[in-house]
Amino acid sequence: MVGITKRFGRLTACDQVDLSVEKGQTHAIVGENGAGKTTLMRVLYSVYQPDEGSIEVDGKQVRFRNPSEAIAAGIGMVSQHYSIIPQLSCLDNLMLGAEAMAGPLLDRSTATARADSLAQRMGFRFDWKAPASTLTPAACQKLEILKLLWRNSEILILDEPTAMLSPPDAAVLFNNLQLLAREGKTILLVTHRLREVIDYCDRVTVMRGGKRVAECDVADTDVDRLTNWIVGEDLRPKSDLDGRQAGKTVLTMKDLVIHGDRGERAINGLDLDLRAGEIAGIAGVDGNGQSELFEALVGIRAIQSGIARLGQDDLGQESTSRRLAAGLRFIPADRHRYGLIEDWSLLDNSVLGLHRLPPFAKRGLLRPQEVGKAALEEMEAFRIMADSVRTRAGDLSGGNQQRLIVARALHQPPAVLIAFQPCRGLDVRGTLAVYDSIRAECDRGMAALVISFDLDELLEYCEPIYVLRDGRLVAELRGLEIDRERIGRLMIGLEGAAA
Amino acid sequence: MNWLRFSALVAAAAAFLGIIVWSSGVDPVAALRSGFTGALGTPYGVSDTLQRMTPLLLSGLGVAVGLRAGLFNIGVEGQLLVGALAAAAAAILLKGMPGWLHITLCLAAGGAAGVLWALPAGLIKVWRGGHEVITTIMMNYIALNFTKYIAANPFKDPSAQIATTVQIPNSTRLPDLGGSLHINAGLILAVLLAAGLAWWMKRTVVGYELKAVGANVDAAVAAGVNVPRTIVLAMALSGAFAGLAGAVQVCGYEYRFYDGISPGYGFDALAVALIALASPLPIIATAFIFGALAQGVQSAQVATDLPKEIAMVAQGIIILVAAAVGWQRFRRPS
Repeated sequence: MVGITKRFGRLTACDQVDLSVEKGQTHAIVGENGAGKTTLMRVLYSVYQPDEGSIEVDGKQVRFRNPSEAIAAGIGMVSQHYSIIPQLSCLDNLMLGAEAMAGPLLDRSTATARADSLAQRMGFRFDWKAPASTLTPAACQKLEILKLLWRNSEILILDEPTAMLSPPDAAVLFNNLQLLAREGKTILLVTHRLREVIDYCDRVTVMRGGKRVAECDVADTDVDRLTNWIVGEDLRPKSDLDGRQAGKTVLTMKDLVIHGDRGERAINGLDLDLRAGEIAGIAGVDGNGQSELFEALVGIRAIQSGIARLGQDDLGQESTSRRLAAGLRFIPADRHRYGLIEDWSLLDNSVLGLHRLPPFAKRGLLRPQEVGKAALEEMEAFRIMADSVRTRAGDLSGGNQQRLIVARALHQPPAVLIAFQPCRGLDVRGTLAVYDSIRAECDRGMAALVISFDLDELLEYCEPIYVLRDGRLVAELRGLEIDRERIGRLMIGLEGAAA
Repeated sequence: MNWLRFSALVAAAAAFLGIIVWSSGVDPVAALRSGFTGALGTPYGVSDTLQRMTPLLLSGLGVAVGLRAGLFNIGVEGQLLVGALAAAAAAILLKGMPGWLHITLCLAAGGAAGVLWALPAGLIKVWRGGHEVITTIMMNYIALNFTKYIAANPFKDPSAQIATTVQIPNSTRLPDLGGSLHINAGLILAVLLAAGLAWWMKRTVVGYELKAVGANVDAAVAAGVNVPRTIVLAMALSGAFAGLAGAVQVCGYEYRFYDGISPGYGFDALAVALIALASPLPIIATAFIFGALAQGVQSAQVATDLPKEIAMVAQGIIILVAAAVGWQRFRRPS
């Protein structure tokens, strides 16, 4: 890619960017949210047409009018949000757009065989007949990658592929990507996790403010240098886990049982006391009951038995709206589905969920001045980059969407914050900002419960750390007990049998 | 590029239309001219256009309320029919009260009947997951035949040859506000309601939640919106507008209920609302355009011996093109 420039209105997302990637290499592209990484990849995949610049593949200049032409030329992309259709089976999702045919009919048996061999190559397992709606986000990600292989893509673009994966899953993914690279596939990886770049990539390009600021072999660099290039300045040192005094218990869960979609006991007897001032983290491999726990706390999934109590309120008896009024706030993992209304403006999204509460509503009427004020405050407090509050939420970059959701959750000091992957898609600085804000609220008496698949994030910011496995908490670790290796073992069941 | 496509679409439709009209032995240009004059060229024409616009506007608002909540209420036609019959019944059967109260009761009866006819679809959707498109279509058949039966049997004007009620008393008729355009109070009411609905959706908590349900139901649930209640409310409100459209038709223009009182206003309203992207104020404009179109086609038919069927085909093609253009842009900001 030579001299790629892409403008959106007044914003220049990519400014004269050059990028060259050798066949068989794994090439990482890193940078802050809004640095232009995803835009550059979308130009390559022809979702966007560049305003200037050209693209060459195998030494020949090419110009694709749309992604289908890019796919036909062997370029495949998995974007941050998945394109899985929940109603179709896993197999049908896999072959959608490139179906295996026998005459005019779909040939599902041949397709299943090929799907199995592809999955085996990657170390994945799928029930091909199951509807895709039963997949966890991590499994969706795996299916997306298989889709690229299904279409014989030679150049694989992965936009934050590990955002929803647990560390063991991510390791499996990277081992297999390396395998693919050895087979001669070219891999372009957009990521925030610099560890992954150092451990698994050959070359790295750093972008900042739409420009390429550095490109080098991974062997010649390290995390600190990459961080400096990315932010263009030294970040202040990470704050220590301070010896904050935890207050009284605000959220109690006792013997909680929550059913999953197929009636199984996804959460099976969970006990947890969350105290004011704490940022508690729940670690675990995806699929051990995280989504079910989060949904039950939000109030969109029933609590089968046991008790979840917020102060004196039994949450099992309260609607979502009452929970919000009682000071419970949520940050959902799936921001496109649960967090935002993408067709709405930033302004209208800025009070979604708060809209029944004072000062935003009075006698059934919304108060535009208060809503407008809240939107501006949220934008300012979390440095949400948008032309104005009128910008459509769906047009914000992923990082800015996430900031909006976090800003909204913290806008009115909550009693308890339940955050599921709160920093999904955020860069170093964004993650720091989110936890700074959470910590500031905790100092004022909020309690936070963070459910995440990103162990590093939990280790850095949370205490205590609980480990969730098979629907139960198998460990509660504090202070010196918090140990990366040990948590890893607990997560995958090598230690701490479920009581 | 979009403009190019748009122009090509319009040109193709115009050519096709011209050929159809010409093949029936009528000069397309003369037909166009007489249609235009008939709908907009004279005070008399404009007056007729405004009359045709009224039911389209009210039932278009009904469709729009549903659309904004993510509901496709195809049953506006049926709701309009029962609304019209209920208004006629209230006008004829109720006695001994001041005129203003009587008219109000007639309109309320129409709206209530529309709500009654729309509610089953909302409740079935919420309780059993039945799709509102199917249930409202079924309710349309029931409404059509039920109102026809009532107008032909228990409620028939004994002196008439067709299935119709007697005329409603003068005191229950919505006044003509005079002037050369003969604007009816029903039209004023419809325009005020459009403005009211726009305000309601923009400024009230319930309106905000209704739009949230339509735009992203999962996010609405997570934001604490009671989705079942919102869906039932949206359906009821949609039915109220449709029923009121029928009531205004009876009290403002027709002065009786008869079989065939609606030539399909409830279906044209779907296009009226869609092209306006389900926004209340733009619906005033699209309802006017559709009213002018219907009036123009009829004038052309009278002036140029254009066969009625061809006139209907012409109207259909124009609506189709308009809907295709409107549909393409149906992505609603809040």
